[in-house]
Amino acid sequence: MAARASLRLRVSVAFGLGALVLAAGLSLITYELTRDNLLTRREDTSLARVLFNATQVSRLIDDETTEEQLRELVQNLYTPLGARPVIRFGDLWLSANPVEFSEPQIDPQLKRTVARGQAAQMRYVVGETPFAVIGIPYFDIDAAYYEAVPLDDIATTLSSLLIALLTGSAITVLVGIGIGIWAAQRAVRPLADIGEAAEAIAAGDLNTRLEGADPDLERLSHSFNQMASALQGRIERDARFASNVSHELRSPLMTLTASLEVLRKRQGDLPVRSQTALNLLSADLEHFKQLVADLLEISRYDVGAAALETEDFEIMEFVQQAARAAGHAPRLTRSPGAESLIVRADRRRLAQVMANLLENADNHAGGPTQIHVECLESTVEIGVIDAGPGVAPEDRDVIFDRFARGQRQGPSARGSGTGLGLALVAEHVRLHGGTVRVTERGDGMQGACFVVTLPLDGR
Amino acid sequence: MVAMATRILTVEDDERIRTSLRLALEDEGWEVEESSNGETALNIFRRNPADVVLIDIMLPGVDGFEVCRSLRRISNVPIVMVTAREDTHDIVAGLEAGADDYLTKPFAPKELSARIRALLRRARTAEGPITNFIFADLEVFAEEGVVRRGNEDINLTKTELRLLVELASSPGRTLSRELLLERIWGYGYFGDSRLVDVHIRRLRTKIETDPANPRHVVTVRGEGYKLQP
Repeated sequence: MAARASLRLRVSVAFGLGALVLAAGLSLITYELTRDNLLTRREDTSLARVLFNATQVSRLIDDETTEEQLRELVQNLYTPLGARPVIRFGDLWLSANPVEFSEPQIDPQLKRTVARGQAAQMRYVVGETPFAVIGIPYFDIDAAYYEAVPLDDIATTLSSLLIALLTGSAITVLVGIGIGIWAAQRAVRPLADIGEAAEAIAAGDLNTRLEGADPDLERLSHSFNQMASALQGRIERDARFASNVSHELRSPLMTLTASLEVLRKRQGDLPVRSQTALNLLSADLEHFKQLVADLLEISRYDVGAAALETEDFEIMEFVQQAARAAGHAPRLTRSPGAESLIVRADRRRLAQVMANLLENADNHAGGPTQIHVECLESTVEIGVIDAGPGVAPEDRDVIFDRFARGQRQGPSARGSGTGLGLALVAEHVRLHGGTVRVTERGDGMQGACFVVTLPLDGR
Repeated sequence: MVAMATRILTVEDDERIRTSLRLALEDEGWEVEESSNGETALNIFRRNPADVVLIDIMLPGVDGFEVCRSLRRISNVPIVMVTAREDTHDIVAGLEAGADDYLTKPFAPKELSARIRALLRRARTAEGPITNFIFADLEVFAEEGVVRRGNEDINLTKTELRLLVELASSPGRTLSRELLLERIWGYGYFGDSRLVDVHIRRLRTKIETDPANPRHVVTVRGEGYKLQP
């Protein structure tokens, strides 16, 4: 599956987008309505005054009016809010303030409309100031009255409004994202509970069930609990089965072991052929017992019935005793921190790890030559080193598989090891939260080095 | 001199195992008496107490734990539990029912003999056999296996007594589980330390006034146990 954004991120983004659309829509409507409203009102009030001014002008001018009179007239018109009057009289254009607004600033289209005898108005920007320009034609004389009403105060108001709306929108979006995160977390919390329960089950606590889940997730929690019960039932059945198998296998082995010991006591009384047969029987019974023991041990992992029983012990003494128990006295080395280092581990399982690694060295490499204990920051490494042929890189992973006899041993070599020793090593170490690997020797000599890494926190 | 052979009572329902064990144990020099279920075993023991009892946990009718508890009510005889399952619960339950040691099938009869010999060893310290001694408010009569507090007699099994004597031989010093395993049960470094833990627990319930807060048999975390006055 392609990588997907997390649910929480998606919900938050959705809330953010929703807030954005809402805020932008409302802002746009507010802005447009306010703008229309303000402009219309300004134009309405202006128009009334412009009409009044135009009437004033029409009453005061006739064909004999001089340019001087007109100039005076245009200066004296009542023009609040900085409105700029312009009078056309024939070809003469007169404006109250020629620099700010005069004939060239009047839009040609407006001029044409007014020239056709229609009153008209246009809104446009001159320089940087927006104006509403109104033109009134006269019918009895060749003249027209224009007035440019500046709208810059409205523009200022509108830009303030725009800033306010943008700020409001941004806040809304942020609040939306915030609510999204909060809501997503609320929504995801029951899922987190389920996740924790699943982790608890995976970690071995099979009694974990979901309780009092959100009503919306009732079906999910119900089926989750059903699944957990089914899993628990199956594991318990499997464990019971393994336990029964154990009993059924060990009982006849008990009879065989005891009877064989009785026979071995009288080995001298037996004919040579029978002695040979007895030796074969003994050897394979030992092998079979080890195989059964290893199979039962590893089956506990398969049915999920393997549980650590940890205790504290000194690792150096432990390693030394393990070597002695295996009948070896390899060179024992350690890093400075390993001296009197106490580890918390399952002693029985770790003893089996050591025994199996030492036996492996015996069977394939002529015995271990060195055991090295290295204390690292949060782990301890136990290296079992031999001087055998080493392990080919392609075999280094599969060597820990069950019955992986690989290149190291021909099929005829049955009898040395059960084929489960290293697999059990891997299982035991993994149960401790550690790892096991095989490498070449660090000193460049021929041989293999099996390194068991255990965490020091003693979980 | 007529040396009485040590008698072992085996309680085992599987006839083939029972017979083969008898043959092998007789080869080791023990006298063996067999029983196929718990009731018979208890009757035999009441009539003629054995020196050691070997009990299989999985028995028809009265199970091995119950046989063990019944035996403990009438005797301090050394008991070895036999289990065909390496189940922690079974082993701890067997020891708590009063067994002194346990073995997992299939075991070598030689191994069983070694276990029996260890259990039959007398209480002794490194300096030699011990007689009676007084420790705190306890009076220990080693020969009889009796500990007396005031006028009250406390009955200890041989293994519990040896554990107490071992701890008392160096009071105040911490003895590791491994050391106790070796001295009392004859196991090496890799013996099952649960043997020590369960026996310590049993010893506490007998000699401590408040077993949950022991004053005499004290646990030293990560090191072992010590006895203090």
